Amino acid sequence: MKTGFCVFLAAFVALGASWLGLVFGPLKQLGVATETKILQSDDKWPVQRTGDATLGLQVYRANGCAACHTEQIRQTGAANELSLVNLGVHQAADLKDFIASLLGTMPELMNFSNAVAGNLAGWDGKLPKVIYSGADDTVISLLGDKLKAVGVKTEARVVATGADIARMGWGVRQSVAADYLYDQPVQLGSLRAGPDLANIGVRSPDLNWQLQHLYAPKSITPNSSMPAFRYLFTVRAKVGGQSSPDALVLPKEFMPAGNLEVVPTAEAKQLAAYLVSLKNNAPLYEAPFTPITAAK
Amino acid sequence: MSDEKKSCCSNETGEPTATRSAAPMWIIVVTLALLFTGGLFLDSHGGWFDKNVYAPYQSSAQLESFQPKSGAAAAMARGKSVYEGVCGICHNSDGTGKPGQAPALASSEWVTAKGINRLAHIPLAGVTGAIRVGGKDWNLNMAAMGAALPDEDVAAVLTYIRTSWGNKAEAVTADDVKKVRSEIGKSPQPYTGEQLKAMPE
Repeated sequence: MKTGFCVFLAAFVALGASWLGLVFGPLKQLGVATETKILQSDDKWPVQRTGDATLGLQVYRANGCAACHTEQIRQTGAANELSLVNLGVHQAADLKDFIASLLGTMPELMNFSNAVAGNLAGWDGKLPKVIYSGADDTVISLLGDKLKAVGVKTEARVVATGADIARMGWGVRQSVAADYLYDQPVQLGSLRAGPDLANIGVRSPDLNWQLQHLYAPKSITPNSSMPAFRYLFTVRAKVGGQSSPDALVLPKEFMPAGNLEVVPTAEAKQLAAYLVSLKNNAPLYEAPFTPITAAK
Repeated sequence: MSDEKKSCCSNETGEPTATRSAAPMWIIVVTLALLFTGGLFLDSHGGWFDKNVYAPYQSSAQLESFQPKSGAAAAMARGKSVYEGVCGICHNSDGTGKPGQAPALASSEWVTAKGINRLAHIPLAGVTGAIRVGGKDWNLNMAAMGAALPDEDVAAVLTYIRTSWGNKAEAVTADDVKKVRSEIGKSPQPYTGEQLKAMPE
């Protein structure tokens, strides 16, 4: 075969190029990843798990949790938001006119006048009020400055948008590679028979809640289709009529009959510790947002 | 039998062989057009394979525009916008200055001086007459461009010019600016290069 060498060369180049692009490149970029910095803070992300939580990942894996739960928040966009926080001495109606006149006279703002006017239409003076939400970040500082000059307090925020993020508690930004740094193996999941768990540690940070939910999901969500993981718990007789400190406090109908108590095994505790460690609440450079701070 | 075959399929006389022939021109054109469109798409959506750029972000510049600004980053953003609105018209948006209009600020010894006393006097009171900047003699007037700006804005723009375009000097605070402004007083007179040189840094 006189073209044999050419065929070999073509196959080598084709396979070599895909190996370079799909294996070598990503490995070089993400294989050496280390902890990243949380925005506007000196803290690092992600936080190393406790021993129990690290073992809990293996319990999560062994019980096939990833078959029904994902650990990935998706995002479809982002927006710079400017909202009115405090009107100072102004009335809502007057301020509306003032903003309308600003939009009409400043050439830099004219492109945004429709968007802002639309947000202000039908506003009854309730605060905080989002007056601009979009991709541009120059309009935020320009409009914010003009309003500051007349004594109106505004707040500029960056928010992630998308269906997952609109569901309260699912997460405030998309999941990125940095979130999975300490996961081995990564439990991304592909089916959402149950809710996403990327942020369950923020949503339900109580270990006892997690344990009760694992033992009897229907005791918390009556319509839950999640199977009860009873084999992760031991049902045993109370010693001397006293419950042990670990025993679950369950509603009456979920309690085993007789003088019995339900105590979690080590695996149940590890799994609960792992679930509580799942958080998606730190702003990162690659997934930015403005965190809501309590004191404002 | 073989005669029959010959009569019905006269063109199948032997094994087919590959011969050289030019690829049709339209295939080349379509391929090039596809490559070009693909290149354009990758350029605008691919983020140049930056590990920090995840969809829906399409480039690192876009990602940068969504970074929450506060503290030092906010001061730099503020300084940039003040610079481009007030100073950049003459000093050029990249700080290289314009011949016959204003000297360069990039790697200028006035800008990167250790202290900010001399530097802060310039936008607050203005400069007149001869002044030597970066080994070149200038003889022009600069009005007190910063006199009407709030302290925070002057501080932000001074911080911006001291840390941009390769300049590496310390940031300026609003209190520094306030101090200089109170020294100058209510009716600023432009300084000459000699007067500025006589001041502490």
